[in-house]
Amino acid sequence: MTTLTEPSAFRRIAVFGGVYANAHALAATLDDAGRRDVDAVFCLGDLGGFGPHPDRVFPLLRGAGVRGIQGNYDQAIALGHTDCGCGYTDPRDNHYARISYAYTLGRTASEHRRWMGTLPAHRRLALGEHAALLCHGSPRATAEFLWESTTPDGLVARLLDDARAQVILCTHSGIKWHRRLADGRHLVNVGVIGRPENDGTPRVWYTLLTAERGRDLDVEFVPVHYDHEALAREMEAEALPPEFVETVRTGWWTTCLEVLPGRERARGRF
Amino acid sequence: MDAPAPAGRLTLAPPVAPAAPVATIAFRHLTALWVQVTGTLCNLQCTHCINASGPREPWLAPMEAETVRRHVVEAAALGVKEIYFTGGEPFLHAEILPLLAFALERAPTTVLTNGTLIDDAAAGALAALAAGARYSLEIRVSLDDPDAARNDVVRGPGAFRRALGAIRRLEARGLLPILTATELDRRGAAPGEDRYARLRDLLLASGIRKPRVKLLPVFPVGRMAGRGGGVVTPEMLAAVEPSRLQCSESRAVATGGVYVCPILSGFPAGRMAGATLGETLGPSRLDHPACLVCWQTGSSCRNA
Repeated sequence: MTTLTEPSAFRRIAVFGGVYANAHALAATLDDAGRRDVDAVFCLGDLGGFGPHPDRVFPLLRGAGVRGIQGNYDQAIALGHTDCGCGYTDPRDNHYARISYAYTLGRTASEHRRWMGTLPAHRRLALGEHAALLCHGSPRATAEFLWESTTPDGLVARLLDDARAQVILCTHSGIKWHRRLADGRHLVNVGVIGRPENDGTPRVWYTLLTAERGRDLDVEFVPVHYDHEALAREMEAEALPPEFVETVRTGWWTTCLEVLPGRERARGRF
Repeated sequence: MDAPAPAGRLTLAPPVAPAAPVATIAFRHLTALWVQVTGTLCNLQCTHCINASGPREPWLAPMEAETVRRHVVEAAALGVKEIYFTGGEPFLHAEILPLLAFALERAPTTVLTNGTLIDDAAAGALAALAAGARYSLEIRVSLDDPDAARNDVVRGPGAFRRALGAIRRLEARGLLPILTATELDRRGAAPGEDRYARLRDLLLASGIRKPRVKLLPVFPVGRMAGRGGGVVTPEMLAAVEPSRLQCSESRAVATGGVYVCPILSGFPAGRMAGATLGETLGPSRLDHPACLVCWQTGSSCRNA
Protein backbone atom coordinates (compact mmCIF):
# COMPACT_ATOMS: atom_id res chain seq x y z
CA MET A 1 0.00 0.00 0.00
CA THR A 2 1.24 3.48 -0.80
CA THR A 3 1.81 6.06 1.92
CA LEU A 4 2.25 9.75 1.17
CA THR A 5 4.11 11.84 3.73
CA GLU A 6 3.29 15.54 4.00
CA PRO A 7 6.53 17.56 4.07
CA SER A 8 5.46 20.30 6.51
CA ALA A 9 3.66 20.35 9.85
CA PHE A 10 0.08 21.57 10.28
CA ARG A 11 -1.53 23.50 13.11
CA ARG A 12 -5.17 22.95 12.17
CA ILE A 13 -6.72 20.60 9.63
CA ALA A 14 -10.23 19.64 8.60
CA VAL A 15 -10.83 15.94 7.91
CA PHE A 16 -13.85 14.10 6.58
CA GLY A 17 -14.68 10.73 5.09
CA GLY A 18 -17.50 9.04 3.20
CA VAL A 19 -18.61 11.59 0.62
CA TYR A 20 -20.86 8.93 -0.93
CA ALA A 21 -21.63 11.10 -3.96
CA ASN A 22 -23.30 13.73 -1.77
CA ALA A 23 -22.10 16.86 -3.59
CA HIS A 24 -24.47 19.05 -1.57
CA ALA A 25 -22.94 18.06 1.75
CA LEU A 26 -19.44 18.24 0.30
CA ALA A 27 -19.95 21.83 -0.85
CA ALA A 28 -21.38 22.80 2.54
CA THR A 29 -18.49 21.12 4.36
CA LEU A 30 -15.86 22.84 2.24
CA ASP A 31 -17.60 26.21 2.82
CA ASP A 32 -17.67 25.64 6.56
CA ALA A 33 -14.06 24.47 6.79
CA GLY A 34 -12.97 27.43 4.66
CA ARG A 35 -14.17 29.77 7.41
CA ARG A 36 -12.22 28.05 10.17
CA ASP A 37 -8.61 28.97 9.49
CA VAL A 38 -7.49 25.49 8.47
CA ASP A 39 -4.10 24.79 6.91
CA ALA A 40 -5.42 21.93 4.79
CA VAL A 41 -8.44 19.72 4.18
CA PHE A 42 -8.20 15.94 4.00
CA CYS A 43 -10.66 13.33 2.76
CA LEU A 44 -10.27 9.77 4.00
CA GLY A 45 -12.02 8.14 1.07
CA ASP A 46 -15.24 6.57 -0.25
CA LEU A 47 -16.20 9.25 -2.73
CA GLY A 48 -19.06 7.36 -4.34
CA GLY A 49 -21.89 5.05 -3.35
CA PHE A 50 -25.32 5.79 -1.87
CA GLY A 51 -25.89 9.18 -3.52
CA PRO A 52 -26.66 10.35 -7.09
CA HIS A 53 -24.46 11.63 -9.91
CA PRO A 54 -21.10 10.41 -8.63
CA ASP A 55 -19.10 12.60 -11.03
CA ARG A 56 -20.22 15.82 -9.34
CA VAL A 57 -17.97 15.51 -6.31
CA PHE A 58 -14.65 15.43 -8.19
CA PRO A 59 -14.55 19.06 -9.40
CA LEU A 60 -15.40 20.20 -5.86
CA LEU A 61 -12.65 18.09 -4.27
CA ARG A 62 -10.01 19.03 -6.79
CA GLY A 63 -11.04 22.69 -6.92
CA ALA A 64 -10.66 23.01 -3.15
CA GLY A 65 -7.30 21.23 -3.11
CA VAL A 66 -8.58 18.48 -0.85
CA ARG A 67 -5.87 15.91 -0.11
CA GLY A 68 -7.35 12.47 -0.46
CA ILE A 69 -6.68 8.88 0.36
CA GLN A 70 -8.25 5.89 -1.27
CA GLY A 71 -11.21 4.19 0.38
CA ASN A 72 -12.36 0.69 -0.46
CA TYR A 73 -15.06 2.12 -2.72
CA ASP A 74 -12.57 4.27 -4.63
CA GLN A 75 -10.24 1.34 -5.08
CA ALA A 76 -13.06 -0.88 -6.31
CA ILE A 77 -14.41 1.72 -8.77
CA ALA A 78 -10.92 2.60 -10.00
CA LEU A 79 -10.13 -1.03 -10.71
CA GLY A 80 -13.63 -1.99 -11.88
CA HIS A 81 -14.05 -4.66 -9.24
CA THR A 82 -17.25 -6.68 -9.13
CA ASP A 83 -18.25 -5.34 -5.71
CA CYS A 84 -17.49 -2.46 -3.38
CA GLY A 85 -15.39 -4.42 -0.90
CA CYS A 86 -17.29 -2.70 1.91
CA GLY A 87 -16.82 -5.68 4.20
CA TYR A 88 -20.46 -6.58 4.73
CA THR A 89 -21.19 -10.18 5.63
CA ASP A 90 -24.95 -10.01 5.83
CA PRO A 91 -27.21 -10.74 2.83
CA ARG A 92 -29.46 -7.73 3.42
CA ASP A 93 -26.48 -5.36 3.66
CA ASN A 94 -24.98 -6.85 0.52
CA HIS A 95 -28.26 -6.48 -1.38
CA TYR A 96 -28.24 -2.71 -0.96
CA ALA A 97 -24.48 -2.47 -1.45
CA ARG A 98 -24.84 -4.13 -4.86
CA ILE A 99 -27.48 -1.60 -5.96
CA SER A 100 -25.27 1.34 -4.98
CA TYR A 101 -22.18 -0.12 -6.53
CA ALA A 102 -23.75 -0.94 -9.89
CA TYR A 103 -25.22 2.57 -10.10
CA THR A 104 -21.93 4.25 -9.18
CA LEU A 105 -19.66 2.11 -11.35
CA GLY A 106 -21.83 2.78 -14.39
CA ARG A 107 -21.82 6.55 -13.90
CA THR A 108 -18.26 7.41 -12.90
CA ALA A 109 -16.22 8.87 -15.75
CA SER A 110 -13.00 7.10 -16.66
CA GLU A 111 -10.90 10.18 -15.87
CA HIS A 112 -12.27 10.19 -12.32
CA ARG A 113 -11.69 6.46 -11.99
CA ARG A 114 -8.08 6.98 -13.05
CA TRP A 115 -7.70 9.81 -10.54
CA MET A 116 -9.03 7.67 -7.69
CA GLY A 117 -6.53 5.03 -8.71
CA THR A 118 -3.70 7.47 -8.01
CA LEU A 119 -4.74 8.23 -4.44
CA PRO A 120 -2.49 6.88 -1.67
CA ALA A 121 -3.78 4.32 0.84
CA HIS A 122 -2.33 6.25 3.78
CA ARG A 123 -0.97 9.68 4.55
CA ARG A 124 1.44 10.62 7.28
CA LEU A 125 1.68 14.12 8.63
CA ALA A 126 2.76 16.15 11.64
CA LEU A 127 -0.04 17.84 13.55
CA GLY A 128 2.07 20.19 15.63
CA GLU A 129 4.15 17.77 17.66
CA HIS A 130 1.86 14.79 17.00
CA ALA A 131 2.73 12.22 14.33
CA ALA A 132 -0.53 11.31 12.63
CA LEU A 133 -1.47 8.47 10.30
CA LEU A 134 -4.50 8.96 8.08
CA CYS A 135 -6.22 5.83 6.78
CA HIS A 136 -9.64 4.71 5.57
CA GLY A 137 -10.90 1.84 7.77
CA SER A 138 -7.91 1.10 9.94
CA PRO A 139 -4.15 1.25 9.36
CA ARG A 140 -4.11 -2.52 8.82
CA ALA A 141 -7.15 -3.01 6.60
CA THR A 142 -8.93 -0.56 4.28
CA ALA A 143 -12.36 -2.09 4.94
CA GLU A 144 -12.03 -2.67 8.70
CA PHE A 145 -14.86 -1.17 10.73
CA LEU A 146 -13.74 0.65 13.87
CA TRP A 147 -16.86 1.33 15.96
CA GLU A 148 -16.66 2.99 19.33
CA SER A 149 -18.25 0.12 21.25
CA THR A 150 -16.15 -2.61 19.61
CA THR A 151 -12.70 -1.03 19.52
CA PRO A 152 -10.99 -1.77 22.83
CA ASP A 153 -8.19 0.37 24.22
CA GLY A 154 -5.75 -2.51 23.80
CA LEU A 155 -6.47 -2.59 20.07
CA VAL A 156 -6.12 1.19 19.77
CA ALA A 157 -2.73 0.99 21.49
CA ARG A 158 -1.67 -1.84 19.20
CA LEU A 159 -2.70 0.04 16.06
CA LEU A 160 -0.84 3.16 17.24
CA ASP A 161 2.26 1.11 18.09
CA ASP A 162 2.23 -0.62 14.70
CA ALA A 163 1.62 2.68 12.88
CA ARG A 164 4.38 4.43 14.85
CA ALA A 165 1.98 7.32 15.38
CA GLN A 166 0.47 9.34 18.21
CA VAL A 167 -2.75 9.94 16.29
CA ILE A 168 -4.76 7.74 13.92
CA LEU A 169 -7.53 9.28 11.82
CA CYS A 170 -10.00 6.92 10.15
CA THR A 171 -13.56 6.73 8.78
CA HIS A 172 -15.42 3.88 6.92
CA SER A 173 -17.97 2.98 9.61
CA GLY A 174 -20.08 6.13 9.22
CA ILE A 175 -20.30 7.24 12.86
CA LYS A 176 -17.76 9.59 14.44
CA TRP A 177 -16.01 8.97 17.76
CA HIS A 178 -12.82 9.85 19.57
CA ARG A 179 -10.71 7.87 22.06
CA ARG A 180 -7.88 9.42 24.03
CA LEU A 181 -5.74 6.75 25.69
CA ALA A 182 -4.32 7.28 29.17
CA ASP A 183 -0.88 7.76 27.59
CA GLY A 184 -2.14 10.75 25.58
CA ARG A 185 -2.41 9.10 22.18
CA HIS A 186 -5.56 9.41 20.08
CA LEU A 187 -7.74 7.53 17.65
CA VAL A 188 -10.38 9.60 15.88
CA ASN A 189 -13.02 8.24 13.57
CA VAL A 190 -13.81 11.46 11.71
CA GLY A 191 -17.27 10.34 10.58
CA VAL A 192 -18.74 10.79 7.11
CA ILE A 193 -20.36 13.69 5.27
CA GLY A 194 -22.34 11.64 2.76
CA ARG A 195 -24.95 10.18 5.05
CA PRO A 196 -26.34 11.17 8.46
CA GLU A 197 -25.08 9.12 11.37
CA ASN A 198 -28.26 7.35 12.48
CA ASP A 199 -29.16 9.96 15.08
CA GLY A 200 -32.52 11.09 13.73
CA THR A 201 -31.29 14.33 12.18
CA PRO A 202 -30.26 14.93 8.55
CA ARG A 203 -27.03 16.73 9.49
CA VAL A 204 -23.62 15.22 8.80
CA TRP A 205 -20.25 15.67 10.52
CA TYR A 206 -16.63 16.45 9.82
CA THR A 207 -13.70 16.88 12.21
CA LEU A 208 -11.37 19.76 13.05
CA LEU A 209 -8.03 18.90 14.65
CA THR A 210 -5.95 21.64 16.22
CA ALA A 211 -2.44 21.22 17.63
CA GLU A 212 -1.20 24.10 19.75
CA ARG A 213 2.31 23.93 21.19
CA GLY A 214 2.34 22.56 24.72
CA ARG A 215 -1.34 21.55 24.65
CA ASP A 216 -3.14 18.32 24.05
CA LEU A 217 -4.55 17.76 20.60
CA ASP A 218 -7.95 19.40 20.29
CA VAL A 219 -10.58 17.33 18.47
CA GLU A 220 -13.83 19.04 17.49
CA PHE A 221 -16.68 17.38 15.63
CA VAL A 222 -18.46 19.92 13.44
CA PRO A 223 -22.08 19.43 12.35
CA VAL A 224 -22.93 20.35 8.78
CA HIS A 225 -26.44 21.24 7.71
CA TYR A 226 -26.96 21.13 3.97
CA ASP A 227 -29.80 21.04 1.45
CA HIS A 228 -30.67 17.42 2.11
CA GLU A 229 -34.07 17.82 0.47
CA ALA A 230 -32.38 18.69 -2.85
CA LEU A 231 -30.26 15.57 -2.51
CA ALA A 232 -33.32 13.45 -1.71
CA ARG A 233 -35.14 14.70 -4.81
CA GLU A 234 -32.14 13.96 -7.02
CA MET A 235 -31.95 10.45 -5.59
CA GLU A 236 -35.63 9.91 -6.33
CA ALA A 237 -35.16 11.18 -9.88
CA GLU A 238 -32.33 8.69 -10.31
CA ALA A 239 -34.54 5.88 -8.95
CA LEU A 240 -32.15 5.08 -6.14
CA PRO A 241 -33.69 2.90 -3.40
CA PRO A 242 -36.39 4.68 -1.38
CA GLU A 243 -34.71 3.30 1.72
CA PHE A 244 -31.67 5.47 0.97
CA VAL A 245 -33.82 8.54 0.42
CA GLU A 246 -35.59 7.96 3.72
CA THR A 247 -32.23 8.00 5.50
CA VAL A 248 -31.30 11.31 3.90
CA ARG A 249 -34.58 12.87 5.02
CA THR A 250 -34.90 11.38 8.51
CA GLY A 251 -31.33 10.78 9.64
CA TRP A 252 -32.13 7.17 10.53
CA TRP A 253 -30.26 4.34 8.83
CA THR A 254 -32.54 1.93 7.03
CA THR A 255 -29.84 -0.19 5.37
CA CYS A 256 -26.36 -1.44 6.27
CA LEU A 257 -27.78 -2.06 9.73
CA GLU A 258 -26.47 -5.56 10.17
CA VAL A 259 -22.87 -4.44 10.40
CA LEU A 260 -23.66 -2.25 13.43
CA PRO A 261 -22.66 -3.54 16.87
CA GLY A 262 -25.56 -3.96 19.27
CA ARG A 263 -24.90 -0.77 21.16
CA GLU A 264 -24.78 1.44 18.05
CA ARG A 265 -27.78 -0.39 16.56
CA ALA A 266 -29.81 0.20 19.71
CA ARG A 267 -29.47 3.96 19.29
CA GLY A 268 -31.15 3.98 15.88
CA ARG A 269 -34.78 3.58 14.89
CA PHE A 270 -34.36 0.36 12.86
CA MET B 1 -4.51 -32.27 27.50
CA ASP B 2 -7.06 -33.37 24.96
CA ALA B 3 -9.73 -35.59 26.33
CA PRO B 4 -10.31 -38.70 24.24
CA ALA B 5 -13.62 -38.95 22.47
CA PRO B 6 -16.05 -41.44 23.95
CA ALA B 7 -16.76 -44.21 21.50
CA GLY B 8 -19.84 -43.60 19.39
CA ARG B 9 -20.15 -39.95 20.36
CA LEU B 10 -17.56 -38.38 18.17
CA THR B 11 -15.69 -39.16 15.03
CA LEU B 12 -12.47 -37.31 14.45
CA ALA B 13 -11.51 -36.18 10.98
CA PRO B 14 -10.16 -38.82 8.66
CA PRO B 15 -6.46 -38.50 7.87
CA VAL B 16 -5.54 -36.31 4.94
CA ALA B 17 -4.63 -38.14 1.76
CA PRO B 18 -0.83 -37.95 1.67
CA ALA B 19 -0.81 -36.90 -1.96
CA ALA B 20 -2.79 -33.72 -1.37
CA PRO B 21 -0.60 -30.62 -1.06
CA VAL B 22 -1.81 -28.57 1.89
CA ALA B 23 -1.73 -24.80 2.19
CA THR B 24 -0.11 -23.09 5.14
CA ILE B 25 -1.58 -19.75 6.15
CA ALA B 26 0.37 -17.00 7.89
CA PHE B 27 -1.04 -15.47 11.05
CA ARG B 28 -1.81 -11.75 10.70
CA HIS B 29 -2.99 -10.42 14.06
CA LEU B 30 -5.26 -11.56 16.86
CA THR B 31 -8.69 -10.17 16.04
CA ALA B 32 -10.87 -12.69 17.88
CA LEU B 33 -10.32 -14.83 20.95
CA TRP B 34 -12.77 -17.72 21.37
CA VAL B 35 -13.23 -19.16 24.85
CA GLN B 36 -14.81 -22.63 24.94
CA VAL B 37 -15.76 -21.98 28.51
CA THR B 38 -17.89 -25.04 29.20
CA GLY B 39 -15.94 -27.43 27.01
CA THR B 40 -18.52 -29.74 25.48
CA LEU B 41 -20.97 -29.63 28.38
CA CYS B 42 -24.42 -28.70 27.08
CA ASN B 43 -28.02 -29.24 28.13
CA LEU B 44 -28.96 -29.93 24.49
CA GLN B 45 -27.57 -32.54 22.12
CA CYS B 46 -28.06 -31.12 18.63
CA THR B 47 -27.67 -33.44 15.70
CA HIS B 48 -25.26 -31.15 13.85
CA CYS B 49 -23.13 -29.92 16.78
CA ILE B 50 -19.60 -29.08 15.64
CA ASN B 51 -18.05 -30.44 18.80
CA ALA B 52 -20.54 -33.15 19.75
CA SER B 53 -21.56 -31.41 22.96
CA GLY B 54 -24.13 -32.92 25.24
CA PRO B 55 -25.32 -33.29 28.81
CA ARG B 56 -23.61 -36.56 29.68
CA GLU B 57 -19.89 -37.27 29.94
CA PRO B 58 -18.63 -34.24 28.04
CA TRP B 59 -15.45 -35.28 26.28
CA LEU B 60 -13.93 -31.85 26.93
CA ALA B 61 -14.15 -30.47 30.45
CA PRO B 62 -15.29 -26.92 31.30
CA MET B 63 -12.50 -24.39 31.83
CA GLU B 64 -11.28 -23.18 35.17
CA ALA B 65 -12.25 -19.52 35.65
CA GLU B 66 -8.66 -18.55 36.40
CA THR B 67 -7.50 -20.06 33.11
CA VAL B 68 -10.12 -18.03 31.26
CA ARG B 69 -9.02 -14.83 32.97
CA ARG B 70 -5.37 -15.50 32.15
CA HIS B 71 -6.12 -15.92 28.45
CA VAL B 72 -8.37 -12.84 28.38
CA VAL B 73 -5.68 -10.68 29.97
CA GLU B 74 -3.08 -11.94 27.50
CA ALA B 75 -5.40 -11.42 24.53
CA ALA B 76 -6.13 -7.84 25.59
CA ALA B 77 -2.41 -7.13 25.83
CA LEU B 78 -2.00 -8.52 22.31
CA GLY B 79 -4.59 -6.06 21.00
CA VAL B 80 -7.51 -8.45 20.54
CA LYS B 81 -10.61 -6.84 19.04
CA GLU B 82 -13.36 -9.19 20.21
CA ILE B 83 -13.83 -12.01 22.72
CA TYR B 84 -16.38 -14.79 22.24
CA PHE B 85 -17.63 -17.24 24.88
CA THR B 86 -18.88 -20.56 23.62
CA GLY B 87 -19.13 -24.20 24.61
CA GLY B 88 -21.14 -26.37 25.07
CA GLU B 89 -23.64 -24.08 26.68
CA PRO B 90 -21.80 -21.17 28.36
CA PHE B 91 -24.58 -20.49 30.86
CA LEU B 92 -23.91 -23.86 32.47
CA HIS B 93 -20.63 -22.42 33.79
CA ALA B 94 -21.02 -21.41 37.42
CA GLU B 95 -18.97 -18.25 36.90
CA ILE B 96 -20.21 -17.18 33.49
CA LEU B 97 -21.51 -13.75 34.54
CA PRO B 98 -18.32 -12.72 36.41
CA LEU B 99 -16.27 -14.01 33.48
CA LEU B 100 -18.31 -11.99 30.97
CA ALA B 101 -17.88 -8.93 33.18
CA PHE B 102 -14.14 -9.55 33.37
CA ALA B 103 -13.86 -9.83 29.58
CA LEU B 104 -16.07 -6.78 28.99
CA GLU B 105 -13.69 -4.62 30.99
CA ARG B 106 -11.08 -5.36 28.35
CA ALA B 107 -12.82 -5.94 25.03
CA PRO B 108 -16.23 -6.22 23.37
CA THR B 109 -17.63 -9.61 24.27
CA THR B 110 -20.12 -11.99 22.72
CA VAL B 111 -21.67 -15.10 24.23
CA LEU B 112 -23.11 -17.90 22.07
CA THR B 113 -25.99 -19.67 23.79
CA ASN B 114 -28.92 -21.92 23.06
CA GLY B 115 -31.01 -19.55 25.17
CA THR B 116 -32.65 -22.25 27.25
CA LEU B 117 -31.19 -20.97 30.53
CA ILE B 118 -31.93 -17.29 29.93
CA ASP B 119 -34.89 -16.74 32.21
CA ASP B 120 -36.07 -13.33 33.41
CA ALA B 121 -33.37 -13.13 36.07
CA ALA B 122 -30.57 -14.05 33.68
CA ALA B 123 -31.85 -11.63 31.03
CA GLY B 124 -31.97 -8.89 33.63
CA ALA B 125 -28.44 -9.64 34.78
CA LEU B 126 -27.15 -9.56 31.20
CA ALA B 127 -28.94 -6.27 30.50
CA ALA B 128 -27.39 -4.75 33.62
CA LEU B 129 -23.98 -6.03 32.58
CA ALA B 130 -24.36 -4.55 29.09
CA ALA B 131 -25.60 -1.21 30.38
CA GLY B 132 -22.63 -0.81 32.70
CA ALA B 133 -19.98 -2.07 30.30
CA ARG B 134 -17.55 0.06 28.37
CA TYR B 135 -17.79 -2.13 25.29
CA SER B 136 -20.60 -3.88 23.46
CA LEU B 137 -22.04 -7.11 24.88
CA GLU B 138 -23.65 -9.31 22.25
CA ILE B 139 -25.82 -12.38 22.86
CA ARG B 140 -26.13 -14.91 20.04
CA VAL B 141 -29.03 -17.30 20.42
CA SER B 142 -28.97 -20.45 18.30
CA LEU B 143 -32.07 -21.61 16.49
CA ASP B 144 -31.87 -23.63 13.32
CA ASP B 145 -35.19 -23.42 11.54
CA PRO B 146 -38.10 -20.95 11.42
CA ASP B 147 -40.41 -23.93 11.78
CA ALA B 148 -40.65 -25.13 15.39
CA ALA B 149 -41.03 -28.81 14.57
CA ARG B 150 -38.15 -28.85 12.11
CA ASN B 151 -35.98 -26.93 14.53
CA ASP B 152 -36.70 -29.29 17.40
CA VAL B 153 -35.84 -32.35 15.34
CA VAL B 154 -32.32 -30.94 15.27
CA ARG B 155 -32.08 -29.22 18.63
CA GLY B 156 -34.42 -31.22 20.84
CA PRO B 157 -38.02 -30.93 22.10
CA GLY B 158 -38.92 -27.44 23.29
CA ALA B 159 -35.68 -25.85 22.02
CA PHE B 160 -37.52 -23.57 19.58
CA ARG B 161 -39.93 -22.18 22.16
CA ARG B 162 -37.21 -21.65 24.74
CA ALA B 163 -34.80 -19.94 22.32
CA LEU B 164 -37.47 -17.59 21.06
CA GLY B 165 -38.45 -16.85 24.65
CA ALA B 166 -34.86 -15.89 25.45
CA ILE B 167 -34.72 -13.59 22.42
CA ARG B 168 -37.93 -11.88 23.54
CA ARG B 169 -36.72 -11.49 27.13
CA LEU B 170 -33.41 -9.98 25.99
CA GLU B 171 -35.04 -7.60 23.50
CA ALA B 172 -37.51 -6.47 26.15
CA ARG B 173 -34.54 -5.37 28.25
CA GLY B 174 -32.86 -3.38 25.50
CA LEU B 175 -30.42 -6.01 24.28
CA LEU B 176 -30.49 -6.94 20.61
CA PRO B 177 -29.74 -10.65 20.43
CA ILE B 178 -28.50 -12.15 17.19
CA LEU B 179 -30.36 -15.24 16.05
CA THR B 180 -27.70 -17.60 14.76
CA ALA B 181 -28.71 -20.43 12.46
CA THR B 182 -26.85 -23.00 10.44
CA GLU B 183 -27.42 -23.77 6.77
CA LEU B 184 -28.60 -27.25 7.66
CA ASP B 185 -29.83 -30.01 5.43
CA ARG B 186 -32.42 -28.39 3.18
CA ARG B 187 -34.56 -31.46 2.67
CA GLY B 188 -38.12 -30.50 3.40
CA ALA B 189 -37.48 -26.83 2.69
CA ALA B 190 -39.67 -25.13 0.11
CA PRO B 191 -38.04 -24.62 -3.32
CA GLY B 192 -36.16 -21.35 -3.38
CA GLU B 193 -36.71 -20.84 0.31
CA ASP B 194 -34.85 -17.82 1.56
CA ARG B 195 -33.76 -19.01 4.95
CA TYR B 196 -32.46 -15.62 6.00
CA ALA B 197 -35.72 -13.87 5.13
CA ARG B 198 -37.81 -16.54 6.86
CA LEU B 199 -35.79 -16.26 10.07
CA ARG B 200 -36.02 -12.49 9.92
CA ASP B 201 -39.77 -12.71 9.38
CA LEU B 202 -40.03 -15.08 12.33
CA LEU B 203 -38.39 -12.50 14.57
CA LEU B 204 -40.59 -9.68 13.27
CA ALA B 205 -43.70 -11.81 13.79
CA SER B 206 -42.53 -12.50 17.32
CA GLY B 207 -42.46 -8.79 18.11
CA ILE B 208 -38.71 -8.29 17.71
CA ARG B 209 -38.34 -4.75 16.36
CA LYS B 210 -34.69 -4.94 15.35
CA PRO B 211 -34.21 -8.44 14.01
CA ARG B 212 -30.63 -9.63 13.67
CA VAL B 213 -29.82 -12.90 11.91
CA LYS B 214 -26.52 -14.61 11.29
CA LEU B 215 -26.19 -17.70 9.12
CA LEU B 216 -23.37 -20.19 9.42
CA PRO B 217 -22.49 -23.14 7.22
CA VAL B 218 -22.50 -26.67 8.54
CA PHE B 219 -19.01 -28.00 9.15
CA PRO B 220 -17.91 -31.63 8.69
CA VAL B 221 -16.73 -31.98 12.26
CA GLY B 222 -18.18 -33.23 15.52
CA ARG B 223 -21.52 -34.96 14.85
CA MET B 224 -21.25 -34.03 11.15
CA ALA B 225 -17.76 -35.48 10.71
CA GLY B 226 -17.23 -37.35 7.48
CA ARG B 227 -19.85 -35.36 5.58
CA GLY B 228 -17.81 -33.59 2.94
CA GLY B 229 -14.99 -31.13 3.20
CA GLY B 230 -11.37 -31.46 2.21
CA VAL B 231 -8.02 -29.77 2.36
CA VAL B 232 -7.16 -26.37 0.96
CA THR B 233 -4.22 -26.46 -1.44
CA PRO B 234 -1.64 -23.67 -1.85
CA GLU B 235 -3.20 -22.74 -5.21
CA MET B 236 -6.64 -22.44 -3.62
CA LEU B 237 -5.28 -20.28 -0.80
CA ALA B 238 -3.51 -18.00 -3.27
CA ALA B 239 -6.87 -17.28 -4.92
CA VAL B 240 -8.47 -15.70 -1.84
CA GLU B 241 -7.73 -12.84 0.50
CA PRO B 242 -6.06 -14.45 3.54
CA SER B 243 -8.05 -12.28 5.96
CA ARG B 244 -11.15 -14.12 4.72
CA LEU B 245 -10.00 -17.18 6.63
CA GLN B 246 -10.38 -16.78 10.36
CA CYS B 247 -7.36 -18.94 11.17
CA SER B 248 -5.29 -15.92 10.09
CA GLU B 249 -6.85 -13.74 12.79
CA SER B 250 -8.39 -15.95 15.49
CA ARG B 251 -7.42 -18.39 18.18
CA ALA B 252 -9.56 -20.47 20.53
CA VAL B 253 -8.79 -21.56 24.06
CA ALA B 254 -10.28 -24.57 25.79
CA THR B 255 -9.37 -27.05 28.45
CA GLY B 256 -6.36 -28.60 26.81
CA GLY B 257 -4.73 -25.54 25.36
CA VAL B 258 -4.87 -23.15 22.45
CA TYR B 259 -6.57 -24.10 19.17
CA VAL B 260 -6.39 -22.73 15.66
CA CYS B 261 -10.02 -21.59 15.31
CA PRO B 262 -13.42 -21.94 17.00
CA ILE B 263 -14.53 -24.76 14.70
CA LEU B 264 -11.60 -26.98 15.64
CA SER B 265 -11.46 -25.86 19.29
CA GLY B 266 -10.85 -28.79 21.58
CA PHE B 267 -9.91 -31.26 18.84
CA PRO B 268 -6.41 -32.66 18.69
CA ALA B 269 -6.38 -31.74 15.00
CA GLY B 270 -6.81 -28.08 15.88
CA ARG B 271 -4.34 -27.90 18.73
CA MET B 272 -1.52 -25.35 18.41
CA ALA B 273 1.91 -25.96 19.89
CA GLY B 274 2.34 -23.59 22.81
CA ALA B 275 0.65 -22.96 26.13
CA THR B 276 0.05 -19.22 25.81
CA LEU B 277 -1.68 -17.29 23.06
CA GLY B 278 1.53 -15.47 22.27
CA GLU B 279 3.24 -18.76 21.52
CA THR B 280 0.57 -19.81 19.02
CA LEU B 281 0.38 -16.78 16.73
CA GLY B 282 2.24 -18.51 13.93
CA PRO B 283 1.28 -20.22 10.67
CA SER B 284 -1.20 -23.07 10.52
CA ARG B 285 -2.06 -25.76 7.99
CA LEU B 286 -5.43 -25.90 6.23
CA ASP B 287 -5.55 -29.67 6.37
CA HIS B 288 -8.84 -30.38 8.14
CA PRO B 289 -12.02 -31.16 6.14
CA ALA B 290 -13.65 -28.16 7.83
CA CYS B 291 -11.03 -25.86 6.26
CA LEU B 292 -12.56 -26.34 2.83
CA VAL B 293 -15.93 -25.09 4.08
CA CYS B 294 -14.35 -21.84 5.30
CA TRP B 295 -12.52 -21.46 2.00
CA GLN B 296 -15.65 -22.15 -0.06
CA THR B 297 -18.06 -19.98 1.90
CA GLY B 298 -15.82 -17.19 3.16
CA SER B 299 -17.84 -17.52 6.31
CA SER B 300 -16.61 -16.18 9.61
CA CYS B 301 -17.81 -17.26 13.03
CA ARG B 302 -17.54 -13.63 14.16
CA ASN B 303 -20.67 -11.50 14.46
CA ALA B 304 -20.10 -9.43 11.32
